[in-house]
Amino acid sequence: MDGVVQLQKQLVDYTASLFHEGFLDEQFNQLQQLQDESNPDFVVEVVSLFFEDSERLLNELGKTLEQKTVDFKKVDAHVHQLKGSSSSIGAQRVQKLCIAFRNCCEELNTEGCLKCLQQVKHEYSLVKNKLETLFKLEQQTIAAGGSIPTL
Amino acid sequence: MAPAIEGMVPAIESSEGNNKMNKGYQYPSWKKKLRGLVVDNEELCRIVEKGIMGLCGVETQAVETGEAAVELIASGATFDIIVIDRFLPSMTGPETARKMREMGVESKIIGLFALYFEGDEEEFVAAGVDDFKEKPLSPNWLVPMLRELDN
Repeated sequence: MDGVVQLQKQLVDYTASLFHEGFLDEQFNQLQQLQDESNPDFVVEVVSLFFEDSERLLNELGKTLEQKTVDFKKVDAHVHQLKGSSSSIGAQRVQKLCIAFRNCCEELNTEGCLKCLQQVKHEYSLVKNKLETLFKLEQQTIAAGGSIPTL
Repeated sequence: MAPAIEGMVPAIESSEGNNKMNKGYQYPSWKKKLRGLVVDNEELCRIVEKGIMGLCGVETQAVETGEAAVELIASGATFDIIVIDRFLPSMTGPETARKMREMGVESKIIGLFALYFEGDEEEFVAAGVDDFKEKPLSPNWLVPMLRELDN
């Protein structure tokens, strides 16, 4: 019994840290609200979609910015999409970087955009790591016979 | 149990009638049967937006394009609230809103955007939307809107 309590505490603490450190925002709570018995894997599914989308977009952004003549409209469109998806799951830091990224696009600044891309890639890999750890902790908690603490 | 998040308040206050207690949040139920339509080309955004509308008590359909939305309405479907993304693949967000108004749609139409671009709001408003909001779709502004519609 003790093990389960430990795991649950670990899970709660870890989740709280993600909010405190600004990785996630209120939107993520909304996603958790959408998960229930009829939709038990909603959060994992939606976050997996986010991973797929982001990786594709970050890839595309890299390619687009490497072109001799950069198509900033394309860059804009990708950043827009990335901001949309990151805001949908509450990936706050990634979302904020997209705004900075867009400003570089407006200025038609390739150097600036490349820098922004590096930053977004970095933040993305951080939040991806954090979320994967979170899901692992949830799985462990459930496997030990515990339930995921809800809001 | 729940992680204490700074500045986080349960999103909704209760309204008259039976309130659905959903894991600590109170999402109101409505006197009327409210129907919603989400028009968003991005899968992740679409799924989350549909989910959140549902959480707020709106029976919601989601489509990927302006054309699909217009077709639905042409076939006789009616909605109380329609949410349209700024960037749609062929028929744009504003074009979709305009078409709907031309078809006699009097529902509340909200234009959604991920990144704010100069002129977007004017274009959407000129097309006849009631409001222009930044993603993500949130119960915080959705519910007061729905409350008005319900009266």
